[in-house]
Amino acid sequence: MTLRALFLRGLLPGAGVLLAAVVASLLLGAGDVGPERALSALLGGADGDARFTVLELRLPRTLVAVAVGLALGIAGALLQAAARNPLAEPGLLGVSAGASFAVVVALVLGASAATLGPYVAVLGAGAGCLLALGAARLRGAGDDPVRLVLAGAAFSGLMAAGSSVMLLVDARAADEIRFWTIGSVAGRELADLWAVVPVVGLGLLLAVLVAPALTALSLGDDVATGLGHRPGRVRAVAVAAVALLVGGATALAGPVAFVGLVVPFAARALVGPDLRRLLAVSVLLGPATVLTADVVSRLVARPYEMPLGVMTALLGAPVLVAVVRSHRLPSL
Amino acid sequence: MAVGPYAVLIPRKPLLGTAAVLVVLIAASAVHLSVGEILVHPLDALRALFGDGTPRDLLVVERLRLPRLQAGLAVGAALGAAGCLMQTLAQNRLATPDTVGLNDGAAAFAVASVTGLTTSLLPSGAALTGAATAAALTLALSGGAGRGGYRFLVVGLGVGAVFGAVTSLVLARSAADAANAAYGWTVGTLNSREQDAVALLALALVVVLPLAMVLGRRLLLLRLSDSVASGLGVRIKGLRLAVIALAVVLGGLAVAVAGPLGMIALAAPEAARRIAGPRTVPVLLSALAGALFTLLADLLGRTVLAPLEIPVGLVTAVVGGPYLLWLLLTTRTRRSL
Amino acid sequence: MNPDQSVPVNPGQSVSAHPAEPDSRLRTRDLRLAHGSRVVVDGLDLALPEHQVTVIVGPNGCGKSTLLGGLARTLPARSGAVLLDGRELTRIPTREIARTIGMLPQSAIAPDGLTVRDLVRYGRQPHQGLLRQWSADDARAVEEALTAADLHGLADRPLETLSGGQRQRAWIAMAVAQETPILLLDEPTSALDMGHALEVLELVRSLAAQGRTPVLVLHDLTTACRYADHMIALKDGAIVAQGPPTAIITPDLVRELYGVESAILTDPVHDTPVICPLRVTPSGAAA
Repeated sequence: MTLRALFLRGLLPGAGVLLAAVVASLLLGAGDVGPERALSALLGGADGDARFTVLELRLPRTLVAVAVGLALGIAGALLQAAARNPLAEPGLLGVSAGASFAVVVALVLGASAATLGPYVAVLGAGAGCLLALGAARLRGAGDDPVRLVLAGAAFSGLMAAGSSVMLLVDARAADEIRFWTIGSVAGRELADLWAVVPVVGLGLLLAVLVAPALTALSLGDDVATGLGHRPGRVRAVAVAAVALLVGGATALAGPVAFVGLVVPFAARALVGPDLRRLLAVSVLLGPATVLTADVVSRLVARPYEMPLGVMTALLGAPVLVAVVRSHRLPSL
Repeated sequence: MAVGPYAVLIPRKPLLGTAAVLVVLIAASAVHLSVGEILVHPLDALRALFGDGTPRDLLVVERLRLPRLQAGLAVGAALGAAGCLMQTLAQNRLATPDTVGLNDGAAAFAVASVTGLTTSLLPSGAALTGAATAAALTLALSGGAGRGGYRFLVVGLGVGAVFGAVTSLVLARSAADAANAAYGWTVGTLNSREQDAVALLALALVVVLPLAMVLGRRLLLLRLSDSVASGLGVRIKGLRLAVIALAVVLGGLAVAVAGPLGMIALAAPEAARRIAGPRTVPVLLSALAGALFTLLADLLGRTVLAPLEIPVGLVTAVVGGPYLLWLLLTTRTRRSL
Repeated sequence: MNPDQSVPVNPGQSVSAHPAEPDSRLRTRDLRLAHGSRVVVDGLDLALPEHQVTVIVGPNGCGKSTLLGGLARTLPARSGAVLLDGRELTRIPTREIARTIGMLPQSAIAPDGLTVRDLVRYGRQPHQGLLRQWSADDARAVEEALTAADLHGLADRPLETLSGGQRQRAWIAMAVAQETPILLLDEPTSALDMGHALEVLELVRSLAAQGRTPVLVLHDLTTACRYADHMIALKDGAIVAQGPPTAIITPDLVRELYGVESAILTDPVHDTPVICPLRVTPSGAAA
C-alpha cells in the first residue's frame, strides 16, 4: 500500500469522521443549549449561558474524550500486536480493570481522588498488562486467543467485585469509587487532562519507537529475531506503552471497555494489517469512536446521561462477536 | 437396584455423595437460620420454624431469615442444575448461564419489566423471556452449542455485554438514582426478594429437576461425538433443545429472584462431578451443591464484615473468580469436561 | 559449482581468533543446544563453507532444525559458541547479526491481509533506522528480491490468497531482500510439489552463484544431493559425515542415518547420487 492509498483509504475518512464527531460533541448535549445556540456561541455570539456550556463544559469534555480515545485506540493496536491476538483489548483483558482497581485501593487506603494523579492507575494497568501477557504465554490459554479473552473477562469481573466490596466497606470513598467502576468523560476538567498528558505522551512516544519492531513480531518471534529484533525487549516496551496509555485514559475517564477492540478492527478493515499504518489510522479513529459514543450517550437517555462504557459496550460487543464468528480467527 | 421386573441402575458412589451433601445442606440451613446479627440457638430456630418461641425469635427466623433461606436454596439449586445441563450440552465446563449471557439477558428484561418499560409482564416472566432470548442469540451467533467450544463462550460474553448495557440504558432512562436502582440487578443478592418469584422458581424446580434426571442418562451420550450418539439412538437435536429449554427455565427464574448471581453454576457441577465420578451427569447433586454454595456464600456475606452485609453475588465473584481464572488458564484441551 | 574451489575471504572481515579455515564466516565451537532439559546437540564443531549451498540432512529428531536455530541465535547456546567472523554471536548486537545472517523458520506465520510486497519490505528492517525508514537502496533490494523469486505479478496480492508454493517464494523473497551474506532456510520445500520445490531450490542455487552462502535443512536425501555443494549428515545431534554429496553418500551412510538398505545410483544428467531405498534394515543388522 502506497502512502497515497494510506491517505485515501485510511487517513482521509478517519479525519472526516473525527471532524464530524468533534463538531457534534460541541453542538449537541443533554442540556437545553441546542445546536443553533451552541454554534452562535462558538462563533462568538453573546449568549452567556450557551458560551459557558460550550466553552466550559463541552469543550473540555471533547478534549478529554479525544485524549481517552487516542490512548485507548493506540493501546488496543499495540496490545493486539504484542499478544498476537485480534481479541486482545485493554478492557477485555483486564488492563483497565487493573488500573481502576489500583485507584480504588489507593482511595480506600486514604488517598484523595483530587490529588492522586495518573500514576497509581498506570501501575495498576501495568500489572494488568503483565498478567494478561503472562497468561498469553501459558500453555493452554496462550495457544487459544478466545480463551485468553475469557480469562481477561474473568479477571475484570474479579477486579470489579473487589472494587464493589471496598465500596461497601468504605462509605467515605464510595462516591469517588463509583466513578472508577463505571467510566465516563462527563464532568472532567481541563486540569484533569493536563495531569495525564505527560503519561499519555510518553506512551505515544514509546508506541512510535516500538512500532517497526512490533510489526516484525507479527511474523513470529523467530523471524523477528532474524530481522534483528529482540522479541522479549520489544514486548516489554509495548507493555510499558500500553500501561501508560491505559493508565492515563483510566485516570481520566475510568474503565472504558471495547474501544481498543473496535478501533484497530475498523482500522484493519481500512488499511490492512501493517501495525504502523494501523497506528496512523487509529490516531484518528480512536478519538472519533469515543466522541461518537459520548455524544450518543448524552442524547439517548435525555434528560439523563448514560455512562460512556455502556455505549462502547453496545458498539464493541457486536464487533467481538463478528471477530469470533469469522471463519477462522485472523492471525496476527 | 431391582424391584420386581424393574431394574434401575443407581451407582453407589453418587448415592452416598448425594446423601452426604444433603446432610451438610441441612446443617448449613440450620446455621443460616441461627447466625446473623442476632444469634438464635439452632434449637430455638427449629422451634420458631414451627411457630413456637419468643416473638423476637419468630420475627427473626420466620420473617427475615426463612424467606432468605428459601430464596437461597431455590436459586442455588436452580443455578447448579442449570450449570450442569449447560456444561454437559456445550461439552465445556466453563459454559454456564452466566458465561453465555443468559443471566444478563434475564436481568435486562426483568429490569425493563420492573421499571415499567414493557407490558405488565411479571418480572419472572420477563426474566424467562430474556434468558430465552439471550440463549437463542448466543446459540445462533456461535453456530450451535455442540460445536462451539470456547467460541460459544466468547459470543456469550458479547451477548452478555450487550444485555448488560441494555440494563444500564433502561435504568438510566427510568430513574434519576440509577446507580442505586441498578445495584440489585447487577450484583446478585438474596435481599428483599418477591415471594411470588421464589414460589415460581420452587415450582419450576419440582417439575424440571425430575425431567433433567430422566434426560441425564442420554445426556451422557452427548459426550461422544454426534454421529456416535445418533448411532446409539439419541435424537441429538431434540435432546439439545430440551436441555437448553430446561436450563433457560431454571436460569431465568433464578435471575428473577436474585439477579445475575455468578459462579454458582460453574462451581456446583464441578463439585458434583468430583463427588459423583465421571460416569453420571449429576443434575440432582449439582442442584444440592448449588444450594449449599449459595447458602455458604450468603452466610459469609452476612458475617464477615458484620454489621455490613456483602451481597451474595459479590461473595461468589470474589471467591469464585480466582477459581474460574485458574480453570481458564490451566486447562489444556479444548473440550474439557 | 565446484566444491573444491577456493574462495577469497572478504578483506578485513576475518580477523579471527580461530583462523582454522579461512573460507568460512560462520562456524560453531563445541556447541551444545537444548530444548528445556533435553540436550539435542552436544559438542558440535562445524564450519560452513563460503559461497556454497550447504544442506543439512538426517533422520527426524536428529537436531537439524535445532542446529539451524542455534546458528540463527533463536536458540541460545547452552555451552560452546557460534562464531561469526570469529566473534561469539552472543556478543554481537542482534541488529548487526541481522545484516549478516538471514533466517527463515519452518512454519512462518503472517497476519491476514499482508501483501507480498509488504512482507518483502519487512526484510529491509535491519537496514533501517528510526530516522531512515525507507531509502532508494531498500526499494532496489525489494524489487530485486521480487524479481529473483519471480513474484512481480503477485506483489500486491495478500499472502493468504496465494498457493503454498507462491507463499513460500514470498517468504524466501523476504529473506533475500534482507541481503545477508548468509541465509538459513529450514525446510524451504516442505509442503511444496515437485515443480515449486525445484523453483525454490534453483533460486537458492542462483543466490550462491551471486556470492551468498545459503544453508538449508532438507528432508529428501536425493534432492539434497542434487543441490548441495556441501552436505552435513547429522544423527543424534552429531555430525556423521560431511563433504560433497558424491564423496559422502554411501549405502553405509544411508543405513546409519535412516536404518534403510539402499542402492546408490547416479543421476545421468547431473552426476549426483540418487538414493534408491530397498527395505528397512532388520533391527539385528543395524550398524
